[in-house]
Parts: sequence; C-alpha cells; structure tokens
Amino acid sequence: MSDLKFVGKPIVRIDGKEKVSGATHFTDDLEYGSNLLYAALVESTEAHALIKHIDISEAERFPGVIAVFTGKDFPYKFGLYMKDRYIFAMDRVRFVGEQIAAVVSRDKRIAERAAKLVKVEYEALPALLDQMEALKKDATLIHPDLGDYIHVPWFFPQAKTNIAHWRKTRRGDIKKGFAEADYMLEDTYSVPRYSHCPIETHAAVGLCDLSGRLTVWASSQSPHTQRNLFAEALAPLGFTHKDIRVIAPPIGGGFGGKAGVSMEILAAAMATKLRGNPVQVIWSREREFYNTSQRLGVIAKLKIGAKKDGTFTAIDHRLYWDAGASAEYGANVVNAIGLSATGPYRFPIIFIDSVCLYTNLPPCGAYRGFGYSEFMFGLESHIDRIAAYLKLDPVAIRKKNAIKEGDILAYGVPMNPSGLHKAIDAVEKEIEWGKKVKSDDPHKAIGKGFSLIWKAPAMPPNASSAAFVKFSEDGSLNILVSGMDMGQGFLTVMAQIAAEILTVPVSKIRTENPDTDRNPYEWQTVASHVTWSCGNAVKNAAINARDQIFEVIERACVLPKEQLYLEDEKVKCKTKPDFELPLKDFVINGIQAQDGTFRGGPILGKGIFMPEFTSAYSDPETSQGGHPNVHYTVGAAAIILEVDKDTGKMHVKKAVEAIDAGKAINPDLVKGQITGGLLQGLSTVLYEDIRYDDKGKLLNPNFTDYKIPTAKDIPDEIMPIIIEVPQPDGPFGARGVGEHTMIPAAPMIANALQDALGIRIKTMPITQEKVALTYLKNKEK
Amino acid sequence: MSILHDFEYYNPRNIEEVLQLRAEYRDKTRILAGGTDLVVQMKDNIVAPDVVIDIKGIEAFHEITFDENILFIGACVTFSELIESEIIQRYFPLIKEMSLTVASMGIRNRATMVGNICSAVPSADSAPILLVYDADVIVRSASEDRILPITEWFACPKKTTLKSDEIVTGIAIHFPERRHAGCYERLGRYSGEDLAQAGICILAFDDNQYHVACCAVGPIPKRLYHIEEFLNGKVIDQNVIQEAKKIMLNNIFPISDVRASKEYREHMMGIMLQRGLKKAVSRLHGGENA
Amino acid sequence: MPKISLMLNNEERVVDVEPHEILLDVLRDKLGVKSPKCGCDRGDCGACNVLLNGRSVRSCLILAVEVDGREIVTVEGISKDGLSKVQESMIDNNAFQCGFCAPGVIISATELLNNNPHPTREEIKEALAGNLCRCTGYLPILEAVENATKEGNNE
Repeated sequence: MSDLKFVGKPIVRIDGKEKVSGATHFTDDLEYGSNLLYAALVESTEAHALIKHIDISEAERFPGVIAVFTGKDFPYKFGLYMKDRYIFAMDRVRFVGEQIAAVVSRDKRIAERAAKLVKVEYEALPALLDQMEALKKDATLIHPDLGDYIHVPWFFPQAKTNIAHWRKTRRGDIKKGFAEADYMLEDTYSVPRYSHCPIETHAAVGLCDLSGRLTVWASSQSPHTQRNLFAEALAPLGFTHKDIRVIAPPIGGGFGGKAGVSMEILAAAMATKLRGNPVQVIWSREREFYNTSQRLGVIAKLKIGAKKDGTFTAIDHRLYWDAGASAEYGANVVNAIGLSATGPYRFPIIFIDSVCLYTNLPPCGAYRGFGYSEFMFGLESHIDRIAAYLKLDPVAIRKKNAIKEGDILAYGVPMNPSGLHKAIDAVEKEIEWGKKVKSDDPHKAIGKGFSLIWKAPAMPPNASSAAFVKFSEDGSLNILVSGMDMGQGFLTVMAQIAAEILTVPVSKIRTENPDTDRNPYEWQTVASHVTWSCGNAVKNAAINARDQIFEVIERACVLPKEQLYLEDEKVKCKTKPDFELPLKDFVINGIQAQDGTFRGGPILGKGIFMPEFTSAYSDPETSQGGHPNVHYTVGAAAIILEVDKDTGKMHVKKAVEAIDAGKAINPDLVKGQITGGLLQGLSTVLYEDIRYDDKGKLLNPNFTDYKIPTAKDIPDEIMPIIIEVPQPDGPFGARGVGEHTMIPAAPMIANALQDALGIRIKTMPITQEKVALTYLKNKEK
Repeated sequence: MSILHDFEYYNPRNIEEVLQLRAEYRDKTRILAGGTDLVVQMKDNIVAPDVVIDIKGIEAFHEITFDENILFIGACVTFSELIESEIIQRYFPLIKEMSLTVASMGIRNRATMVGNICSAVPSADSAPILLVYDADVIVRSASEDRILPITEWFACPKKTTLKSDEIVTGIAIHFPERRHAGCYERLGRYSGEDLAQAGICILAFDDNQYHVACCAVGPIPKRLYHIEEFLNGKVIDQNVIQEAKKIMLNNIFPISDVRASKEYREHMMGIMLQRGLKKAVSRLHGGENA
Repeated sequence: MPKISLMLNNEERVVDVEPHEILLDVLRDKLGVKSPKCGCDRGDCGACNVLLNGRSVRSCLILAVEVDGREIVTVEGISKDGLSKVQESMIDNNAFQCGFCAPGVIISATELLNNNPHPTREEIKEALAGNLCRCTGYLPILEAVENATKEGNNE
C-alpha cells in the first residue's frame, strides 16, 4: 500500500476544466433538433380523489397541439422495489401535483396554454396527510390493491392497510432487556420531509425513432436501472432492453432524487407514441419540490435502557415513516433503517419496527443518507439525555457502547473493520471536548454537541458494477462505466484507480459518461457504493488489461510474465533491466515480431464486481439470518454552536467531522464531501422547513420560502479528518462516504443547544424561531 | 416557464411618451424598470398587461442628486447604485445599510428603490427608511404633477395610491437639519437573502426626538407614532425601552405564515426595537458609523 | 417579430424576438449560449447570471427586448481565448462538484474582481451570496476566488 502514486493523492478533478469553462453540457443544454416537442403537464389539485372524468377535447382542438396523453394511454405499472405507480394517474389521484395528463406541442407556450384547458372532474376521498392517521385501523386505503402488487421478496406489504412495508428486527427478550436496566428513557422524535434541491431540476428527452428504437436522455443517477424500468413498464408495447437506450449526460446534483425512475418515464412513454420527434419534459423548480421524490418523514418512538455505568442493555425503536403516495423506492429506506436503527452501538437486546406508510403527499424515495439522518436525530439526542441523567459524559457513554469490529449487528452479522473509536478520539481531541467556551457577547451562549455517524449501502444483494478500459494510440485510457459523477468526483476516482494499476497518469485518462449501449452495467449511483463497487470493477478491468499486456509481451518478447511490471507507462522486466517498452507503442498496434508479423492488438480490459456474500433472505419476523448490508462506514462529528438567546439565531463556529473512508482515494474529494455534506445536513436542521396546507398542497415550492444556505451561512471553520481502517474488499481499502457526512448535523445541533441553553428540542427543523420561543417559554417557567 | 400572454413593449426616450402611453392605456399598462418583480408576476400570470413601458431609456430617471439639501433618487436608480453612491454614503448612510439587506448582488444590480415601493409588499425594505425620512414620492401624469408624502403612498398590501395614468419619476428627501443617526433592523430566516419577516427603522435626532417605522408587521409599512410620542424628549434606558416595547405591541399587527409566526415576529420586533434604539443612539454619539 | 441587436461575447448578434421572450431562453435557444442555466426561474438561485454592461444580472428576469444595443458577456466569452485567472484557480482548488452553479458563480466572481481586485473573505461571500450551490458548502469556491487574487493581476 505504500508508494502509491495516484491513489491517496489530492488530484485535481478530471472534469474541472470542462465545468469551469462552460463546456459541460447537461441534459437541457444538448440540442435535439428542430423537431423537438414540448410537454406541458396537467396536475391534480386534489390530495386524494377518484378521477371521474378528464375532458381533453378543448386542449386537443387547440391550434398547434399535437397530442394529449392521459393515464389510459399507458396503463402500465412501474417501480423499483415494488410496482405501485402508474405513468399518469389512472382511476385516482393520490397527491396534489400528481400528473394526470400531458399536452404536447412544438411551441412551449401553446402546450402550456392548452394544458390549462384540460378539465378534470374529481370525486374527493378522505386524504391522509399524516402517517399516524394512515396507520389507524379504519383509515381510507390509499392503495386498495396493495396485496396484488409485485415486489421484491424481502418487502412485507400488509394488504388492506396503508402499510407498504414492515421491517421487524428482533433479538432477545425486550422485557428482560429493560428489566436489566437501571435507567430507561422513552420519548418520541419527529422529523419532517425534506427536498433534495439539486440546482439542476429533473429533465428528460425521449426519442423513439422511425424504426421504433427508443432513446432517452435524462438527468439521472441510474441509467441502467432506468432502462430496466422502462423496459418493464413498456413491455406491453413490445419494448425490451435491446430496443431502449439511455444516455446520461452530466447531472447538476442528484442527492438521491435522480435515482430510480420518476418523471423520466413520461418522456420515454410519450416518445413511443410520437415517433421521429424528441419529446422534452423538464421540471420547473416548483415541480421539483412537489413531484419528484422527497425525503421520508418519520415519527420515531424510542426507548433505551442502560445500566448505571452507561452500558446499554436494550433498545426498542419504532419508526413510522411517511412515504407518500408511492413507496416503490421509499420502502427500501424504511427497510434499511429497520435493520440499522440501533445506530453504531452495542445493544444486546433489540426490538425494531420500521413501518412504511402511504400518505396522500408526494412520493418519497432515496435522499442522501437514506433514512439514517432521520433516525440518528432521535437516537443521538436520546443518548445525550441518558448520559445527562446518569451524570456521564456524552462522549464517554458513546465510547463505552460504540460498536467494534466483530460485534454482532442487529441482524446477526459481525461488524466490519472500522475506525469508529479512532474517529471518536480524533473528534474529541480536535473540538476540545470538555472545555467550556463562553461568549464575550452577553446575548449569546456557546455549546458543543457530539454525534456518531454510521450507514451501510441499502441495495439488493446482486447490485453489481462492470467496467471496460480501452487504450488509444497515445497511450491514453478511456474508462467505460455507468456510474454517475453527480459532483462527488466519481470520474476522477475511477481514473486514479486505473492510473495506479496501469501507471498511466490521471491526466491521460478519461472516464466516460454512461450510455447503456456502450458503457457496461452499473446498478445505480446511490448508496455511497460506487467508489467501492465500481472502483473494484475498474480495478479488475485495469488488472485484466495489465494481464493482457504481460501476456502479449511474454509471447512477443519471450520474457516471463511473472517478471514483468509497469512503471511510468512502460512495461519493464525485473530480470532484464534494460528492457522497456512504452505502452503507446503496442496497445493498439500490437508488437511486431522479427519476421514482420504482429502479436497482440488492441488491449481491452474488462472487470466486474458483484458481492457474492450478501443475501436479503432472513426471518421476516426477526430479520435474523441474512446478510443484507455489505458493510458500514462510520465516523464521528462535533460542533461548537453559538446561539443568540433572544433571537434564537444560531451560528456554527466550528465543525469537526471524522469519517473512516477505508482508504481515501482522493483526500481532497473526501474533504469536499465533508464540507458539502455538513452544510446540507445543517441546512435540514436549521433552515429547511417544508409546509403543507390542510389540503395537502405544498405551500413553499421555491427558494424564496424553502431556504437552502448561501455563502453567508457557512460555519466559520470546518475541520475534516480522514480515518483509514481499510475495507478488506474495497479497492485499495476504500469504502464510500458521500452520504455519511450529512448524518450527524441535526443531532449535533440539538445536543449543542442543550449544552448552550439547556433546552431540548425533539422535532425538526430547529429554526431560530423555534429556539427563541422555546427558550422564552423555558425562562418563564 | 414562459410568459403566456402577448403584449406590446415600448421603450420611450422621453417622459412625455411615457405619460402619453399611461394616459392612453392606463391600467392595461405596467411600468418596467428593473423587472425583478414584474417579470416574475408575468411568468406566474398574476399580471398580464397589454402594454409594458420600459422606462430605462429616460436619462433623468437614473440620477441621484443632492441639491440644496434635497436628495433626489430617480425612478430607475438601482440598489447597487445607491450602495455605490458617494452622496448616499455621505449624507444618507441608512439608505446604504438598507440596500445591502435587499436580496443579493444580481438582483440589486437591476431592482430599483422606486420599484420596491411601487410593489407595495408589506415587507418592502425601502419603506421604513423612506418613512423615517418623511420622503416624498414624485408623481406625474399627462395632466398633473403631484408630490405625495410617503405616509400617503401605501394603501393596502400590494396597492398604492398611484393612479393608473400616473408614473413615479423619483423620490425626494429633505436632509434633516438636526444632527441624526439611524439604523435598520430586519428579521430574516438566515444570513443569506430573505424577504423581511419584520423590519424596524429608527432615526434618532440629537434633541432626543425619534422617528420609528416598520415593515412586514401589518398590511402596510408605517410610522409608529405612538412609540415616537412616548420616546420624544427621553433618554433611552432599559425602562424606556420596556415601555416602548409594550406600546409597539399594541400598534403592530403581524400575521403567521410560512415564513414566521405572529408570536415570533412580535418577539423579534421587541428585540429589534431594543437593539435598534441602542444602536441608533450609539451612532448618534459617534459610536459606530452613522 | 422585432429584431434586437446586441454584443454577445464580443460579437454582434442580431435575433428576432417577441416581447414576451425571456433573455435566458433567447440566449440558450436562439443564440447557442448554454452556460447560463435555469435553476428556479424566479431570480432566487443565480444560475442564470450573465454580465450586462459589466453588471451581473439574472437573465431569467429580463425580457430579451430590453438588451437591444447592450453588451452581454457569458462564461463562453470569458473562456473563449483561454481561461481567466479565477477560472484557473477554480480548477486547481477543486472549487466545484456537479458544476451546474459554476457559470453563475463565475459571472459573480468576475464582476467582483473587475471592481475589487483584492476582496476580503466577507466581500467574496457577499458577491457570491446570490449563487446557490447545493454540493460544495461554498468553502472551496471562496478559497478559489481568494487564491486567484493572491496571484496578482486579474482579468
């Protein structure tokens, strides 16, 4: 591992110049020709209603309208883990903003004007805007046919209820676990929905050419999964995977919102009926808020038992998730947390219920953190409170119970190697934990807050990656993969891995954006898993190319393979020091032998990676028996928070975050994830405040009233710490970190506020208003 | 999103043309200066004028002048120009302070102070400053010229007393004779750009007289005369502030909405009154940059 | 349809526009300039920033007809004959992640450095405060702008 030349170095991003010069073209920047059609949507104004009638006649007659589509044109269900949604609403609408129809024209304004002429007649049904309402015994059924839905075998939808999935994890006797405790704390924590807010909204263009071949360009994290879902949904129209191509141009942020399929299927489906014309569907910012996925809301009832010395004895964690009108992706968030809601702690006795409820609000799905930010808010707050009661230091109680390699996880599998304790120690030291800080300003108080971090990728057990590497005549490399760089630096990291194996400098390597025709398979760029999974595939492909190189040298130059090595883009031989052959001389053209004939030819490496040790099969009543998560990435973080006692205004003076990356392939990019992720996390707890009215309409679908931070809202200082306890099956020891960095933000704020002002807030967001008014009420008492 | 309705666009080079168009088309017209309000409203289909009159071609509208102790700010003067103006910096620093709280650079480079008061949103940042200065709104039509005290300008949310054949050509402020200093305190949800959820402007004079005005805590921005009556003649101390807070709560009418609750706005107005009075007085006595 | 004529990235362009057409759309759809992006359509995010007679403005809030006879510079113009100091610094500092906000940020930074060659950190934050970035947490962008000024002259 020593003497690495490219891996572990803070190399400048390979797509930096492109992005800074304006050369990067996102989906809507591409030119689709003068045949381009625009689709304007008709949306539901009701949260829950039967559609009695859709009158499209006026819209159809409007001059310049080419077509009007409704649900009956595409009566096909789709969904990633469960098929519970239609392309356009069919017999009913399930949230305000759900697409009911689309009007297509060559002129954007004509499409939009005509869309206003579509008349929809509804018969209102009771709307459930709260997961606890949806859970009630006689609640209206949002998906009456739930029992018939196709789903992955490790989901447990409850027919004739609004429960889309119920993950139960049980270990030991929970009553006994609490009987052994000296102290028990029970409380409820509530976290609302959040919006991803990528600066680029969702965009998709579908073109079904005159021969019937469908191409979709989409701002997407998951081109191959999208192709798969399109193929499944459009199979009744005669499409299979061979007939569909998905091209994924660079994306302007994803954060999970561009995973799976949401609006892209509209472009795909409509294109099939408008052969020869590209059909564009671009989401406005408003629609980006209310009709893509949101982060699930959760109400978590948590009870933890501990001994006097702080040792945890038992956890009872019941989480009720608001997954919205469709749970095809969101139910996996619920599943993931059902398996991990212990946090990175040892609990001998465990009872977890993670319940996924349908509601009449926008569908929820993957969001950076995948449920972990949501439950860690409550868990890390709760642990601080237990520490306070037991008169123990909050960091000390965490150290006592923090999980170690080999400890048995909630579902029965040993914990992977991890630097959790190293991270805790590093953060404790850097934040000067235990040292009180006072403000010079009499209006202000300063407090410190601590939190641990953990998350595992939540994927099906056969999520795989594949890679090709190919050379060019100048010795440069193209890496063909279908992972997406959504800003995290994936393209660069893959190049660094290939560079290390093949000794070609990163500056001579391109990593290509996905095209399902040309780039091999990647399940999705989610779960913070592509550095690990696709990194392994690229490493394998590079090794495969290297093997071919040594093989042809052995044949053509009569040198033993085992003695060959690569250095500075040349093949060298340990037993023949004066031998060196530059790669560029033969990686396309082959090697000429004495008799003038050539050996070899184009070097083309191939690699795949699929974890063969994971399984989703387990006891549905206890979750014991499977190996659902490949590994956990862990860390720790702390902040110094300054708060104005009168106004409630909060300012983070310093944030320290340590994350165990296994091996930071590019430390600068890992730091980028820490800085960016922390701010996104702080934003969810301090500023973002999603509001619905009592009819299920989103009141603040814009940046005017859903505030994401500006350059003026950043912490004074962020100190990133990279811990490296290698992941044995990771490329050079690497593990993913992209989502993890935002997870500790909310509990750190809650804990720091307790320290600064003595107030405990158990609901998010924790806005300055909430702090000011809570503190005021407390003072009055 | 596109602007769905069709309209005619005029870009006149002199005021007379503007006034003629207004006289002819009246409430079928809208005046376009910075466009940061109007263009959004047209996109949202909140307004759909038949005629848009771009007044940026009128040179006089871009002027900031200070003659014989009267400040004139033309209808097309942007917030950026106010921030950069030496006249404003020297004689009316409160206007610079307020301008820096408006949105961000890209908006301030286009948005105008006159446009801000014409929008007449309850949270208009310009309003409290103009109110404490007793500014005048200069109004012209093809038939009449008027000077309207700012206190008579705001009618109700998003409506002014401007008639449909009139335009605002600028704002005039008499530079106060007595030595004075002020400050503008406003409530936003974070340090980045935000519409004010509460705003208070205080102008303190060296003979212990005070002007106080507010925005975003009632249907229109206004002077808080009851507080002024109470404060006038007094030296600011804790007791005076506490009493002033009570009076203020009887005279502001904030609502609860997605941005802030009534309770928090009231609480914050109290804090901002307190901190604002202290700051204004401190500046008056040379503490901070007046 | 009326014609407008403008200097776009140092080249005179003439284009037919209707009064209702927005400058951002005309730049992107009729004049082939793709760097300004539509992030929110309301002027809240800064992704559509362009320089209009040297000032950074929201092209999503300007009617195309308003820029007749004016000068517009976009990132394409700044990059045309080689990257500016601040752009080079942004590459070296890994300033951006997804890059969608980058053109708008570069316009704001360019305006800042044209008027204030040695801004403080606070001044840089103020100049960039209207550009929303969801990826980076802003720090590497601020550092990149600062580092650009340390090297001396700026374009």
